[in-house]
This record gives sequence, C-alpha cells and structure tokens, in this order.
Amino acid sequence: MARTLAMFTDVSLCIGCRACQVACKQWNQLAPEEPEWTGTYQNHHHFTDKSYRLVRFFEQSDGQGALTWHMMSDVCKHCAQAGCLEACPTGAIYRTEYGTVNINQDICNGCRYCVSACPFGVVAYNEDTGTATKCTFCNDRIHNGLGPACAKACPTQSIRFGFRDELAAQARKRVDDLKRMGVKEAQLYGEDQSGPVGGLNAFFLLLDKPSLYGLPENPKLPQGNVLVDSLLSIGAALMVGLGAVVAFRDRGGKGSA
Amino acid sequence: MEPGLLKSADWPFLIDLYFFLGGIAGGAFVIATVATLLDAQRYRDLTRVGYYLALLAILPGPILLTVDLGIPSRFLHMLMVSKPTTAIGMHAINIGPFHLKPFSPMSAGAWALMVFSACAFLAALLTFLEDRGNPRLGTTRLVIGIVGGVFGFFIAAYPGVLLGATARPLFISAHWLGALFLAVGAATGGAAIALVLSLVGGQTSDSLSRLMKVTAIALVLELVFLALFVVSVSATGSRGIREALAQLLVGSDAIFFWVGAVVVGLVIPLLLQVGGVIRKATPGMTALVSALVIVGGFLVKYVIIVAGQRVLS
Repeated sequence: MARTLAMFTDVSLCIGCRACQVACKQWNQLAPEEPEWTGTYQNHHHFTDKSYRLVRFFEQSDGQGALTWHMMSDVCKHCAQAGCLEACPTGAIYRTEYGTVNINQDICNGCRYCVSACPFGVVAYNEDTGTATKCTFCNDRIHNGLGPACAKACPTQSIRFGFRDELAAQARKRVDDLKRMGVKEAQLYGEDQSGPVGGLNAFFLLLDKPSLYGLPENPKLPQGNVLVDSLLSIGAALMVGLGAVVAFRDRGGKGSA
Repeated sequence: MEPGLLKSADWPFLIDLYFFLGGIAGGAFVIATVATLLDAQRYRDLTRVGYYLALLAILPGPILLTVDLGIPSRFLHMLMVSKPTTAIGMHAINIGPFHLKPFSPMSAGAWALMVFSACAFLAALLTFLEDRGNPRLGTTRLVIGIVGGVFGFFIAAYPGVLLGATARPLFISAHWLGALFLAVGAATGGAAIALVLSLVGGQTSDSLSRLMKVTAIALVLELVFLALFVVSVSATGSRGIREALAQLLVGSDAIFFWVGAVVVGLVIPLLLQVGGVIRKATPGMTALVSALVIVGGFLVKYVIIVAGQRVLS
C-alpha cells in the first residue's frame, strides 16, 4: 500500500465561499439540482448523489443575544474502518492503495445497504444511474499527481491535501496555536487513528464540539454489532430448536387426543 | 441535528415482504425437519406441508430482492464479479470471481439464500417422490433437512442482524433483532403449517396441538426478545436513538406496534393457546390463532423496519 493520503479541513479558515462545492461539481461533472431553502446559505440539507462536498452554515447563540456564525465544508470521511465498505455485498466499494474509499460504478448494483450503513450519512443513491455515489477523493486526480478539486479550489487553504502523517502534524500544531490564541474549544475530529472507526482520512479541525456541526461524537462501525447479534441469534436458534423437540417428542401416546 | 444527518436506504415494501416470507420459509423448514427427525411416520403430513410451504415461501425471495436493485441485471454481483482489487472489507473471502464477506450480513445472506433455496427445493422434491411411492429416500431427505434447517435458521435471523449492522439510530445499538426475527420466523412458520393443516382437514388434533405448542414457545421467545430489544435500545443514552425509539413506541408507528404486533400478534394468540388451544386444538381455533400469529409476525417486522428507516428531522 502506498503512503496514506488525506484531506484536512480546517474550519477556522473557512470563509463559506463554497468554491469547493462548485469545483467538486465541475470536476466530477455532477448534474445541477433543484436548490433547497435551508434558511441559511447552505444548499442542500444533506449530501446528495450530486453533491459530494457540502458547506454547512449555522448560527450558535450564547444565550445573551450574541451569535456566532459557523461554516464548515463537509465531505466523505474516507474512514479507516468504513461502514459503507464493510456493508457492500458486491465488492463495489473498495479501499484504494492510498487508503481512500471509492465506489466502483461498474460493479455497484444499487442495493443501497451502504446508504444506511454510513455513520455520517454521506453515501447517496442516484436514481438516474441506479447506483450509490459519494466523494471519490477525486480518484482520477490523485492517480495523476493532482490533489482533489475541492482542495485545489479552496482560496484560504481551509481544505488541505497531502500525506496523512504530515497533515496530522500540521493539524495538531494548528490546534495548539488556536488554543494559545484563546480559542478554547478548538479540537481535531478524526485525526486520531486510535479513535472511533480507526480515524478518518478526511479529518477536521472544529471550533466547538462535533455535535454542533452535526457530527456524531463517537461514530461507530455498524458491523461491530454483527458478531454479538449473530451469537444471540444462534442462542435463539438453540432455544427454538429445543422448543420444537419438546413439542414434537413422543410422550407414550399421551399426545394423541 | 445528529439523527437527521443519517440517510436511509428507503427499502420499499418488497423487502419487508421478503423478510417476512423468508422467516416463514426458514421456520417451516426447521419445524418440518425436527418433526421428521423425531417421528417421520407420525408427522408425515406435517412434514410434507412444512417442506412444501418452505419452498413456496422462499421462491419469491430472489425475485423480490432482484426487482428492488437499482440495476437488477447486476444481481449476480452479490456473489461474484471480477474485481480490480480484493480490498473489499475485513475478512473478505475472495476465490476467483466469487466473494463472501462474513461481516456483511447481506453478502452472507445472499449465499445462505442460495443454499437454503436449493435445500428447500430438494426437500420438497424428495417429499414428492416419496409420496409417489419411490424407494425410501428418507436418509437423503434427512441430510437435506438438517443442512437446510441450519440455513433456514440463518434465513430467518439474518435480516435482523442485517438491520443491526446499519447506522440507523434505532438499530445501531440494538443487539436482539436477529434473535427476534428468528423467533418470529419460527412462530409464523409453525403457524403457517398449522393453518394449512387445519384448513385441509382430516387431521388428528395431535399434530395441530403440537404445532400450537411450538408456536407458543416461539411466541414467548419473541415477546422476550422484543422486550430486550426495546429495553436495550432505550438504555443507550443518545438523543437521536431515544427519538427513534419514541417514534416506534409512541409516535406514528405506535398503533401498528402495540395493537398489531403486540396485542393481535402476541398477547391474544398466547392467551388462546395457554387457555386451551394447545390442549385441544380444534381446526377452527387453530386456524384463528395461526392467522393472528402470521399477521402479528408480519407487523412486528414491518413496523420495526419502517420505524428504523424513517428519517427524523
């Protein structure tokens, strides 16, 4: 495996211009969509089959009349342990040599299991192609020595692309700097490879707790349930089987009423 | 904010129907096998109905699943496809173009469905040939019955494990769905055999009464697993999970859950069974109880799948 690549989205530098969203749409030739009124500059509410990057906007009140305006460019996290990849029954979803997660459109048969298995609600079903789609980490670009289109377009270097270990070091330094500057709640999300789902290959610097940004505090790999659920099912099978034996065993002709 | 971010697979009614029929097929097959193992002669009618029902109930399965795919012509990709890479998940088994992903219940389920369908076909065929007076095929049928029984349990249970392996708030911290679906499968499978036998007539009430007994045992287990499901999910703190559970228990799905699944499908049949149907199983009462169990078994799966897939804002 080649050295793992990553994207680092630093929310503290985001100005909400949505150039990343536009660049993503253009490079990946994603069709236009009907706009959605979300009450903010955000469009759409969620990732769609035609929007792989999504800048989220929201306001946070301190309860005394002061508002903080938050913006964050969200994207597929390319989880080290990916729920969509583990769920996929066809092998369409695979891990590239760079550690990113991609959906092979020629293999996907549109069962939509991955859509419900993503802990971040990223994967979307495309009605037109009958397949599941999501951010490809610009698979074509990274295999030709270019970074993802969103990172290329970002005017403030809020989205950075590079080797995971180098980006993680930059991210840790940036958090320290921000904390020194008095941004007490600054924190990294998904940088820790010993953390939930083995860390994220698209990780974030947030200015407040993850739930504020709509991110799960402690994302879980859904397939972590499979072993326990299966063992409980086997236990249930034994009980049902025993019950059937009790019901059908001969009791000296007493059973024939 | 958290739960609204998650997406739903939006599986349509076809999938609910398959999960329900698969449960009947698996349950009926297992019960037929146990009965024939214990006394092939006495339970001849019961076994025949069980194996025929299992085949009939599983036949629509692959069709329902294929129709639901975004690209139905790619149905074989569930089992085989030539892939550019084998990095397709933990413990994935790749043999040539074939793949099995033990931690993807849908992948394992596709293989199990194939094996079980073959067993259901062979068991029904051998039963048919035996009835036509062909030489004793009992041993072969027994082997098919045991292998198919194991996979029958699998077919009944795996949809629950499959739901449990999604990020949906109602399912992510649930562990009892596989066990619950298995119990529902056994109850509805037993009830389906009993319903057919009681309608066909000419039965000693011995078989019916034993079927009512195995159905009652499955219903008790179903009740226990359903309670464990609700209690274990409600014990996990997250707000999104609590909202999803509230949707099932007091929200717009609650009437199906309480009246349909619990009262009609569990409480009334159990009371009737304990109140006398097991002791003296008349065809009329057996048919009534069986019909209630089947309706309730459908509703309990249906309402859980629907509530789990509903996207909360």
